[in-house]
Amino acid sequence: MLGSEILDVAIGVVFVFVIVSLICTAVREGLEGWLKTRATHLEQGIRHLLHDRDAQGLARHVFEHPLIFGLFPGRYDPQVKSGSWPMALTRGRNLPSYVPSRNFALALMDIAARGPDTDEVNSDSATEVISLEAVRANIRNLGNPAVQRVLLMAIDTAQGDFERAVSNVEAWYDSGMDRVSGWYKRSTQWILFAIGLFVAVALNVNTVAIADYLYQQKAAREALVAEAQSAAGDSNYLDKKYEDVRVNLQKLQLPIGWSNTTLISNGAGGTSQQSGWQWLEVLAGWLVTAFAATLGAPFWFDLLNKIMVIRSTVKPHEKSPEEGSEDRQIGKEQLPVPASTSTANKSPSAPVTEPVVATTQASASATAPRPKTVGLPDAIDGCDVDILNFTADEDLPAAEGGVA
Amino acid sequence: MAYSLTWLAAVLKDAGLKVATVDGWENRGSGDVGEIRGVLCHHTAGPQQGNMPSLATILNGRPDLPGPLAQLGLGRDGTFYVIAAGRCNHAGAGNWRGTTKGNTHFIGIEAENTGKEDNFPWPAVQLDAYQRGVAAIFRHLKLEVDCCAGHREYALPSGRKTDPTLDMVAFRTGVSSFLADGLPAPVLIPAMEPEGPGGGPGRPTLRRNTTGEFVLYLQRILGVEQAGTFGPKTEAAVREFQRQHRMVPDGIVGPKTWAALDAQLSPAPVAAMGLG
Repeated sequence: MLGSEILDVAIGVVFVFVIVSLICTAVREGLEGWLKTRATHLEQGIRHLLHDRDAQGLARHVFEHPLIFGLFPGRYDPQVKSGSWPMALTRGRNLPSYVPSRNFALALMDIAARGPDTDEVNSDSATEVISLEAVRANIRNLGNPAVQRVLLMAIDTAQGDFERAVSNVEAWYDSGMDRVSGWYKRSTQWILFAIGLFVAVALNVNTVAIADYLYQQKAAREALVAEAQSAAGDSNYLDKKYEDVRVNLQKLQLPIGWSNTTLISNGAGGTSQQSGWQWLEVLAGWLVTAFAATLGAPFWFDLLNKIMVIRSTVKPHEKSPEEGSEDRQIGKEQLPVPASTSTANKSPSAPVTEPVVATTQASASATAPRPKTVGLPDAIDGCDVDILNFTADEDLPAAEGGVA
Repeated sequence: MAYSLTWLAAVLKDAGLKVATVDGWENRGSGDVGEIRGVLCHHTAGPQQGNMPSLATILNGRPDLPGPLAQLGLGRDGTFYVIAAGRCNHAGAGNWRGTTKGNTHFIGIEAENTGKEDNFPWPAVQLDAYQRGVAAIFRHLKLEVDCCAGHREYALPSGRKTDPTLDMVAFRTGVSSFLADGLPAPVLIPAMEPEGPGGGPGRPTLRRNTTGEFVLYLQRILGVEQAGTFGPKTEAAVREFQRQHRMVPDGIVGPKTWAALDAQLSPAPVAAMGLG
């Protein structure tokens, strides 16, 4: 039978991983706050989504729309040229690292209805009331066929319900941002590993040694499990501050940190002399810790909860594993995703697929001749322009009638 | 596919106005118009020469500006040139009684005027036709006179446009008097002189595409090619003659123009013509 020691050791190790991951996330957040890589990824993602890779057209209009403009300080000044995708450590600028999908959708609808410029005219109380008809009629304000098509589809599938059209656009945005977040995740994965390794070495968190220690020290093991149990019950545990977590880690009395290496040797019952093989073991322990950290605190916290369920005398169905997944949503994401949160992914995915099915119908109606195409740029007028080519009297068309 | 404003030519003609349609006008426009909420009055700020020197520009726009630039052009002789039945780029940014999308919701009338001192006051025949034309459009659309705005009244930011150089309040008063149905329709040029010089039968009124002896006679007087058909060149020559004699340069040889032609010539050829 699986000894409860093994389970307890696993709980202890997982709990250590939770704490180390939390520390790594904090470091990562600090780094992100300085580099603002996420903002750059988000900006590139929006450019890509809006088919405006150089950010000279619609993407610029969206970023300069008052609903978005207020989300970041300074002016919007696209620097990263198209094609040069931001790297994991690309220095971001003062752009928003998060654009609420509703802001985005409303900004897009507003640009479509009233035109991209924010000036006296478009801010006047007399401008057109935003309605699906107004958006539809003035869709060419966007000057972007791909997005126009998406917006038309969102409007057409909403069947007159403005809120539904907005949520259709939101769903489209969210699906685009999901990809951005995946792409951001991939490009920053190695940073997390580097941070994990750094933390593992700096704090000397050696998984192998810890497991060894816990297996042999019953008192330490039980203390750690009790601690883990209280942590697992605390759904806000993942929101803890860096200081709290570090204190927590020290409180555990584990063989970590460079000052208590003696604890390792004493606890493990080995000699204080470390041979080459032992160094290899230490290195492996650090690497395991680093890899574990890349999986993120939510993952380990989830796992901790699941093991707790197995361990507890309570029957599993009474404390359903789904609760752990809930915690994952409440808690901080391992990788804070730009824009859309993973919680929002599931429910709007239905509206996303629906417009896709409707694509063929929408495109069919789009290709059909439509004489009533209203809403070309209303801001231009040719009155008072210099006349380039004079029309001589003899080139005038024949007239009917004539006043005496 | 024809656009919505195909009624324009007929409505203006029915109001007794001089109307010239530009080929293909029914299908011209940058898309179709929306619901028409009024008329925007412009002037072209074109050159002083000719009856409607800005026509080609209004029709085709400029390299930086796609045409058509107005549905209607109004020549100096009061001729409405019907240019487009669809949407035109005439209004730009602005606001008149809550309508901000002027290109979509207003019919644009570009009246030929330099917009300067040398073209003020406006020719009476042109101003009369302007007001009658707006009134005819409003009667057709059942709009109130307030739906007529000058471009400078509409354009935002204020002061962006100066056209037209008309007193728009007085202009609207004029339009409303035509809308009130009380005023007589314009007197049209008769088809023939009441009586010829010396009491004989009157000479027919000559205009584009008429033919015959009298056209040859006219062409001889004016010194243009004697083709026997009243073509564009003859018309241009008539307009020039009318301008020199301070008449309405409408290019139509009616009783007044015949009289002016007679006065210019020695009586002999007239008598000959009278016999012929």
